[in-house]
Amino acid sequence: MSDLRVQNLRREFGPVVALEDMTFDVADGEFFCLLGPSSSGKTTTLRAISGLEDLAGGSVHFAGRDVTDAPVQGRGMSMIFQTFALYPHMTVRANFEHPLLRAGVSSDETRQRVNEVAELLRVTHTLDRKPTTLSGGEQQRVAIGRAIVQRPKLLLLDEPLTNLDAKLRHDMRAEFKRLHRELGMTMLYATPDQLEALTMGQRVGVIRDGRVVAVGAPRDLYQKPNDLYVAQMVGSPPINFLQTSATADNQIELPFLGLPVAASGIASGRPVTLGLRPHDLALAGGGSSRATRFKATINLTEPLGDVTVIDVEAKDAAMKMVLREEVAARYSVGDQIEIGFDPEDLHVFDRDTGARLGNGEAAVVQGEQ
Amino acid sequence: MARKYREIGKAGWGYTAITSVVGFVYFFPVLWIILTAFKTRTDALAVPPKLFFTPTLDNFQSVFFRASITTGTSQATDMGLYFFNSIFIAFTSVGLALIVGTLAAYAFSRYPLRGNDTYLFIILTTRMMPPIVVIIPIFLMFRLSGLAGSYWGIILLYTAFNIPFSVWLVKSFFDELNPEIEDAARMDGASERRVFFRFCIPQILAGLSATFVFGLILTWNEFLFALLLTGVETRTVPVAMARTLGGEVGVDYGLLAAIVTLFLIPIFFVTFLLQNQLLRGVTFGTVKK
Repeated sequence: MSDLRVQNLRREFGPVVALEDMTFDVADGEFFCLLGPSSSGKTTTLRAISGLEDLAGGSVHFAGRDVTDAPVQGRGMSMIFQTFALYPHMTVRANFEHPLLRAGVSSDETRQRVNEVAELLRVTHTLDRKPTTLSGGEQQRVAIGRAIVQRPKLLLLDEPLTNLDAKLRHDMRAEFKRLHRELGMTMLYATPDQLEALTMGQRVGVIRDGRVVAVGAPRDLYQKPNDLYVAQMVGSPPINFLQTSATADNQIELPFLGLPVAASGIASGRPVTLGLRPHDLALAGGGSSRATRFKATINLTEPLGDVTVIDVEAKDAAMKMVLREEVAARYSVGDQIEIGFDPEDLHVFDRDTGARLGNGEAAVVQGEQ
Repeated sequence: MARKYREIGKAGWGYTAITSVVGFVYFFPVLWIILTAFKTRTDALAVPPKLFFTPTLDNFQSVFFRASITTGTSQATDMGLYFFNSIFIAFTSVGLALIVGTLAAYAFSRYPLRGNDTYLFIILTTRMMPPIVVIIPIFLMFRLSGLAGSYWGIILLYTAFNIPFSVWLVKSFFDELNPEIEDAARMDGASERRVFFRFCIPQILAGLSATFVFGLILTWNEFLFALLLTGVETRTVPVAMARTLGGEVGVDYGLLAAIVTLFLIPIFFVTFLLQNQLLRGVTFGTVKK
């Protein structure tokens, strides 16, 4: 068993609190992503788990053992650092061999395992070179190799793709999933990129200011974010927010919509923030089943190749929506379009606390049409 | 700037000529002293100076063997001992300073104390005042403690003089390293000692070489303390050189030039051996990786 239990970690750097109350669990063999903006405490968390940080409080249990005060060496974990941290004065082969030598693996087995890993990661041709002569992608794969050659029970990954270009990043995401499937080790992956977290993680923990504020499967976090912060961290392009307030109990007025929508559990006059994902907006008409429609003006278009992100404005409310490229090509800036959405896709949040309200969904108020 | 960068090695003849002239002007005194070492006494004193002459090795011979004035027979001088002294004292003290300095620099860089910068500044202040200010107290201390005239006395003094320089320079090299490499080594099972010797030191070898050579040059050329604190047995070459000036037959320029030429060789040799490391060492950290 190699499950990880992180409880109430606290770490301070002088007056700065890096980890406030970090708590989460990672199951045996799971691919768990920590998602948070820079300086939210991701790196510190990984370093704390590996024993590289002095903690002011909290505990780390790993594989059924309390390792909070155990030495860094011999925890059965390895880490891929953001800077790769390859040993620049050693050849790639020596980089791979180092962890095995320290673990007392025989030289025959060492040679075999190094060759296996080099083959798995397609870096066999670099084995006798120094890391500084390798390309970014090769360095990255060597860093992975050095981390997995010792067959750790837990692999910690600290923004390993941040230093790579977009194409390589895309390839490596698939590579990590493949490695996870083939090696079956527990992986804890820290990233500021929601795309990486959603595509790779079996579960994602969203971090804010040194604590985990939401844990869930990527799908759940996307579809039912439990607060404003999670809603804006997950999803691309980012979710649209509309400020409004409840006109009556369980009833909300939208600035651009003729009719109010119902949302349970909201008291009259309460200021709320509505969230509406760009993908949940569509062109009305043409057989659209979207029940709710409004008119909007196109302000800006951002073609991405397959889809186009369109900034629209409807009665002072600015929103983004996503259209297929061939559909978007029919319109240009300044055009007026009619947009429809399903009230069930509305996310309702308390504007003061940021928490999701009621069941968080809305519906068209019946009988007023 | 509208000017195009020239390719390396394609600076053109104009630049090559200018740098050659500047280089020649700078190197001329050295060239002159080396030439003088191969001249006879008459050639050395000739006006105008002779550029073409019949070279002789007499001067080099008389560095180590000189005709006695009273008996006229050839007699060994102590110059061999003085060369040994210079080499032994300079290498030992710079080596010691580098060892102590490297350990201290690692501690200052990786395990900063409360008030780290203050300590570093205090270390630096020992190099702020000119040596002449402290020469009398040091001389008295050496007399009282019996260190005057001994190898250990002068070695300790030079070590102490080189440590601040070593600490500061080597610390800057440690600061440039990526600490994640050390963390990675730890996670791979390396002990703290191993992290230091196998991961930090190899990465800054170039810097250590540079520090060593700079310290060596400073110590090698040191005259003031050597004059006051070495005895007959521990005298270094600069002091011995000064003692050949004057005397009953006037300044023997040929002999002096021969000593200087020999004196250049060890330092030239070390610098030559470490030149690749040196180039990397002095430019360490000036280019973003």
